[in-house]
Amino acid sequence: MENVGALSLLLAFCVAIFALFSSIVGAWRKNLFLVAAAQRSVYLVWALITTASGLLLYGLIEGDFRLQYVASHSNKAMPLLYKITAWWGGQEGSLLFWSWILSCYGAVVVFTNRKQFKTIMPWVIGVIMFTQIFFLILNNFVVPPFQLWAIGRGIITLPDGQGLNPLLQTPSMAIHPPMLYLGYVGFIVPFAFAIASLITKQPGDEWIHTTRRWTLVTWLFQTIGITLGMGWAYYVLGWGGYWAWDPVENASVLPWITATAFLHSVMMQEKRGMMKVWNMVLVSATFFLCIFGTMLTRSGLVQSVHAFGISSIGNYFATFLAIGIAATVWLILDRLEFLKSESHLESVVSRESGFLFNNLVLLASCFAVLWGTLFPVISEAVTGEKISVDAPFFNKVNIPIGLFLLFLTGAGPLIAWRRSSPDSLRRNFMWPTIAMFVLMAVLFGAGIRNEYALLSFGLCLFVTATIASEFIKGAIAIAHKESMNVVRATIELTYRNTRRYGGYLVHMGVVVMFVGFTGAAFNKDLIVEASMGKSFNIGRYELKITDIKDGDEENYAWMKAKIDVLVDGQKIDTMEPERRIYKASRQPTSHVDIRRRLNEDLFLNFAAMATQGQGAVIQAYVFPLVSWIWVGFWVVLIGTIICLIPSKIKYSYARTEVVGTTTTNVSKGSHAKT
Amino acid sequence: MQRLKTLALLGLLTTLSIAQNPMDFISPEIKRVGMKLACLCGSCRNSVGDCSMIACGYAFPAKQKIKQLQTMGASDQNIVGRFVKEQGRKALSEPESTGFGLLGWLMPGFAVLIGLIAIGVYIKRFRSPMPAPAVPVEPAALADYASTAAKELDRMES
Repeated sequence: MENVGALSLLLAFCVAIFALFSSIVGAWRKNLFLVAAAQRSVYLVWALITTASGLLLYGLIEGDFRLQYVASHSNKAMPLLYKITAWWGGQEGSLLFWSWILSCYGAVVVFTNRKQFKTIMPWVIGVIMFTQIFFLILNNFVVPPFQLWAIGRGIITLPDGQGLNPLLQTPSMAIHPPMLYLGYVGFIVPFAFAIASLITKQPGDEWIHTTRRWTLVTWLFQTIGITLGMGWAYYVLGWGGYWAWDPVENASVLPWITATAFLHSVMMQEKRGMMKVWNMVLVSATFFLCIFGTMLTRSGLVQSVHAFGISSIGNYFATFLAIGIAATVWLILDRLEFLKSESHLESVVSRESGFLFNNLVLLASCFAVLWGTLFPVISEAVTGEKISVDAPFFNKVNIPIGLFLLFLTGAGPLIAWRRSSPDSLRRNFMWPTIAMFVLMAVLFGAGIRNEYALLSFGLCLFVTATIASEFIKGAIAIAHKESMNVVRATIELTYRNTRRYGGYLVHMGVVVMFVGFTGAAFNKDLIVEASMGKSFNIGRYELKITDIKDGDEENYAWMKAKIDVLVDGQKIDTMEPERRIYKASRQPTSHVDIRRRLNEDLFLNFAAMATQGQGAVIQAYVFPLVSWIWVGFWVVLIGTIICLIPSKIKYSYARTEVVGTTTTNVSKGSHAKT
Repeated sequence: MQRLKTLALLGLLTTLSIAQNPMDFISPEIKRVGMKLACLCGSCRNSVGDCSMIACGYAFPAKQKIKQLQTMGASDQNIVGRFVKEQGRKALSEPESTGFGLLGWLMPGFAVLIGLIAIGVYIKRFRSPMPAPAVPVEPAALADYASTAAKELDRMES
């Protein structure tokens, strides 16, 4: 079995090399036979990597402990879901998973575009296959997944495996990596189209129209992956945090930030033919940050609990990045002539400027995160002494940036394309701004003194008001015209321009998430050593341990503390935080119990047994508003899906020019806002 | 045999779970100093003051040490200095605002500044030249535009 797997990977490597040269030579010589051969080779690469992946998965499920990878990341007692999860639970398997997803994307891209884009498709294949070859080098020669245990020349089989890291044995961790990988790897598609468009000197923005859905879908996968990771950290790690600014977490968010910037700035290119070079830079940066993130997780360059450990694999990634970035920079510089802006910026006070600032803030945030992540390495390289950069630094730098971004989220849609008159600005900004300051005053009066929290809540209302006004104005107009109720009119409005109104919903989701983030300013925590029957208080809750039980499952042994939750002397709930020890790894973990409510979560962790008598050390937390983060995620998800639905009306963004000027008598208040 | 195994595991879990009394090292004074120190356990990116792991291999002994030094009358600055002397600057939870650490704080702001300059340059370069003197538009052409606009509006609203 292992021989077939290894051979499949080797063959995939050879076929990928053939596909690369066949597509490039085919495109160069205009030889359709070679191009067709390259297309078929992409399918073959997918089939071969799928075979290898299937065999590894079979080994994991069946418990073939002759294989080093299986014995290190699986064991007999693990449930089927986590045996499958073990595929991406270790270095070798996860890189094979990377390769497999990449081959899937390659096959889908070739299949869906087999009859169009005849000029650029060979180069698209070339870029995808170049990346595929790199990963197949790793799969075949650096971290092969089909290595066997052997003593001398004899192959041995272990009686059982070590099992997957217990922290990874949760449902969200089973889905989180695939989602993140789908996002990471997916950015190869817009990048490949962009590079192919540059190589072939394509006029126009065809690559943007072609890859818009790809970009949005991969961005969505990344968003899901990141949020699942946050949810996992919140539930599993036992301290209630959802973001710790760990280097690997940061690595996942970096390409997400540049992709978000790209999704915004690309509208400038579609509508006005501007920022073409910038969009090339953003789509390339997103792809290379995905590769960089993969390198960070696997090379041991930075210390992280999520990393796969120290290995020499970083050198391979560094080489790939160096070649890729150098080639991309050269190509962009060489093709500057084809990336000239088609329009001018007509006014500083315009939607275009809003996008410029949006990009600036997003990129500043990206740089701040990257800088903080790499600063320990840089400081060690320059001064010989490592300087720690932990959560306090990231919070201090990123909170102001985040709040400014939140402001732009609301302000952007209020400013018209091309230019906004002072009158229209006053009209559009007045009520949202008044609402913002009124809320801030009310909250200040209610005793909130945290300036960031005040500003954040105020801005959340400001953005909500701007988005609501966009929907209300449009819906009322349609309701009048079509004689329908406002709800139906809102649906009709959204359907007419799914991209615009779906985008507003995504913004609304971000606002809701910010409400959740801001709640962190009011977190409460308490660690108590509580004996049986004694009460302790946190926030408005009174907690009492009533029982401590223990038991045994196939995979682990457990201890549970039964805790009554009382408010004003009335019992409202019983919670059961748990400690587990996994049999294979002898590793203890906490399984917290969370009482989730929209206003606040009560979070209990059974941290340890009491040092004296019967009781437990309980970590209790109250996290106000944290549930809104997860609610916001669903709103973002729905908004993105709406963006992906084709609009009822096809808008064509005609590039207009000023042919002359005239004066018209347009009454106040009847200006149409774009 | 199975029962014995379970008992042994539960014994191990109890032993692992019984920490040296962590309550002895939870106080606002310890937290205040702990917030200035990085938890170097490798599992989290918190400060010693924030680290929630009861039996953290780094934060717990660090808290013990902070309490010991506070009992001896050491100031916050002295305690932090002691950690830096023993561990180097990595003991601090964030870069200092002096020396190379200052660069850590300045660079994000510097990046924003570069971005603003870039936007300024972009606006200067790509901003439309001053509006040309008003050229009267032929009434017929204007009527054409008005009719196109009306059609577009009708199409959007239908």
